[in-house]
Amino acid sequence: MTSIWKNNRAALIIVALTVVILGGIIQTMEPKVWVSIMLSGATLASLYFLVASGLSLIFGLMDVLNFAHGVLFVLGAYVGLSTFLNPRLLFNTLPIFFVLIASIMMSQHLGRAFWSRITDTRTRRIATVVLLAAAVGLVLLALRGFPMRALNAFNITAVGGLVTTANAQDPLALMLRRLLLLALGGVPLGLLLSPAERPEEVSLRPVWQTALIAGTSALIGILLLVWRDSGEVWMLALSPDVRFILALIMGTVAGALGGVAIETGLIRPFYGNPVTQLVLTLGLSIAGIDLIEAMWGEEANPPMPTPSLFNESCRSDSIIGWFSEHCQSVDVVGRAFPTYRLFIILVGVLVFIGVGLMLRRTRLGMIIRAGVQDSEMVQALGINVRRVFTMVFALGSALAAMGGVIAAPYLGVFPAMGSIFQLQAFIAVVIGGMGSFIGAAVGTVILGMARAFGDHFVAAGIDLPFLDTVIKGSPAIARASTVLIMAIVLLVKPSGIFGKKE
Amino acid sequence: MTTAPHNILEVRNIQTFIGQFHILDGVSVDVPDGSITVLLGRNGAGKTTTLKSILGLTPPRAGQVVFNGREIQGRPAYRTAAQGIGYVPEHRAIFRDLSVAENLRIAERKPGDLARREEFIFGLFPDLKRLIRLPGGNLSGGQQQMLAVARALVPENELLLIDEPSEGLAPVVIEQMMEAIRRLSAHTTVLLVEQNFIMASRLADRYTIIETGRSIHSGLMADLVHDEATIQRYLGAAA
Repeated sequence: MTSIWKNNRAALIIVALTVVILGGIIQTMEPKVWVSIMLSGATLASLYFLVASGLSLIFGLMDVLNFAHGVLFVLGAYVGLSTFLNPRLLFNTLPIFFVLIASIMMSQHLGRAFWSRITDTRTRRIATVVLLAAAVGLVLLALRGFPMRALNAFNITAVGGLVTTANAQDPLALMLRRLLLLALGGVPLGLLLSPAERPEEVSLRPVWQTALIAGTSALIGILLLVWRDSGEVWMLALSPDVRFILALIMGTVAGALGGVAIETGLIRPFYGNPVTQLVLTLGLSIAGIDLIEAMWGEEANPPMPTPSLFNESCRSDSIIGWFSEHCQSVDVVGRAFPTYRLFIILVGVLVFIGVGLMLRRTRLGMIIRAGVQDSEMVQALGINVRRVFTMVFALGSALAAMGGVIAAPYLGVFPAMGSIFQLQAFIAVVIGGMGSFIGAAVGTVILGMARAFGDHFVAAGIDLPFLDTVIKGSPAIARASTVLIMAIVLLVKPSGIFGKKE
Repeated sequence: MTTAPHNILEVRNIQTFIGQFHILDGVSVDVPDGSITVLLGRNGAGKTTTLKSILGLTPPRAGQVVFNGREIQGRPAYRTAAQGIGYVPEHRAIFRDLSVAENLRIAERKPGDLARREEFIFGLFPDLKRLIRLPGGNLSGGQQQMLAVARALVPENELLLIDEPSEGLAPVVIEQMMEAIRRLSAHTTVLLVEQNFIMASRLADRYTIIETGRSIHSGLMADLVHDEATIQRYLGAAA
């Protein structure tokens, strides 16, 4: 037992300090005030956590700081929103990605043979420029005049007044022509993404497997397109609750696929070259948001509707009452609190438990924990650590995207919605300790609480018993509080509360 | 019938670069089946890199690594390891946050490996049995070294690459370690890196001396121990 104390001394001290400070603050407030502040903090913490946990695992295992993690959060929110309200957008745009990715995958696989034939550096450079021009040209040509704005039309599939589906989308023949051009454009892109110098960095999957995956991807894309009209009708006829669940699934899956695409396309060819990886994810964090704006428009969207469980305009007396009444808000020690936010907290807790159990109880989890410490040694034991990298990247991305979907009814959906979560998640991970799952959880809770109490401090001020006037903080203090906490923690323990890496 | 003993591993003239540094410039090592072969040489000569190049952790740019008659250079390390090569790295590389039991279980290549080998492993290292629930990071240096060797014994490996098993250990523990390696070598071939010449000479059947990235001398350990000139010249203070 002494060892637990020894190993986590800093962690226990910081947690104890936090509890004392929180206790002190709470002393000056009525229960109904601090309970609702803490619930607001927990709501934020839950969303921070969904972003931070993946960020932390990815950094811990692969030493990759994924600056594009916030993009995945936004992606999840938009895909969720479109699944819920605007399925025709998905039916018309998803095929583009499925076909493009299929083509890139196939050509990336064959790219090794291509580059090994060109040994001359000068020729290689020329080939790179030509391929880049061809890729950009073909993709632009394929998407020329694509009716993005009409498809968007306020992010709602028309039932009358707005742009109707028939007017919004391109005829099938034109879409198929676009897909063909995209498939051609994917070839030079795949060649460009195929690492010439380090063939051992690419998985040694047999070619038929790549062909199978790429073929399935292309087939899904084409089927989605062919069935777009009936698919749209079917989806809009579903009840809002089913659509919410569908939105959650679609958003999460989109995040996972996005993660796999980022890891295999941008990160994997550059392991051992962290600066390149950093610059690539940083670039993607900007380009990704631009892509999202290109697809869904720059305007902010109203919050996504919530499922009927949280929709009745009433106030339940207790959680038990809410089960039967499905009220928007519930009475918590005398104050109304939105029930949907309780759902957000619940999702965070469930993810914490679920992923925590996975890490503790499964072989995959054991490999991840070992890999966080020494991935080379895991590899030397005969374990394909690269495959685990991809899985963890997919998992982390999926969690962030899921966070985006469940945040959509709470925050609304807009292109910049991810940046604040990305930043706070980074701070939380630094506070908790890079690579520590528990650390990510503790860090996000500290930040969520700091933010909620900080906002309260700004709005209501603190009424200290020995002072006549109420002290009010400036909004800047509330925002800076998280960075201040980070600075203090780093001074006490530079590797973060639960951190083991430097 | 072949007259020469069968070599389970043949390293042929490998060239390894780490970044821009040319670390190995022609290393060849033969490891006969069932032997203990030791790589000798001064600090920084390239002994550790030789082990890592065999496994594929630092893939050689040229030359061959032949394991059980098949060329394995250029394959990813996890595949090479899964062919039956166990690795006990310098500084042990124990997973500090994993318990001793987990450190062993993670090395399983198929379910039940640990159960099958448990008796053998705990026979060699009885101490590990009572430490089984502790985190690897709480073990002493000697215990960690035992765990690192035990971990390499969990799957049925035909060859063990052991890097500096005596480093930083107390003399009593070094004796235990030597005894364990001698006993396990009845089951597997061992390629050892060892700075401690006394330990190396008592354990090994064969040796290869590596100097500034080249293998320059190899033969039977029994001959080397009488060859004062070679020991002085290439191993200097180590002898």
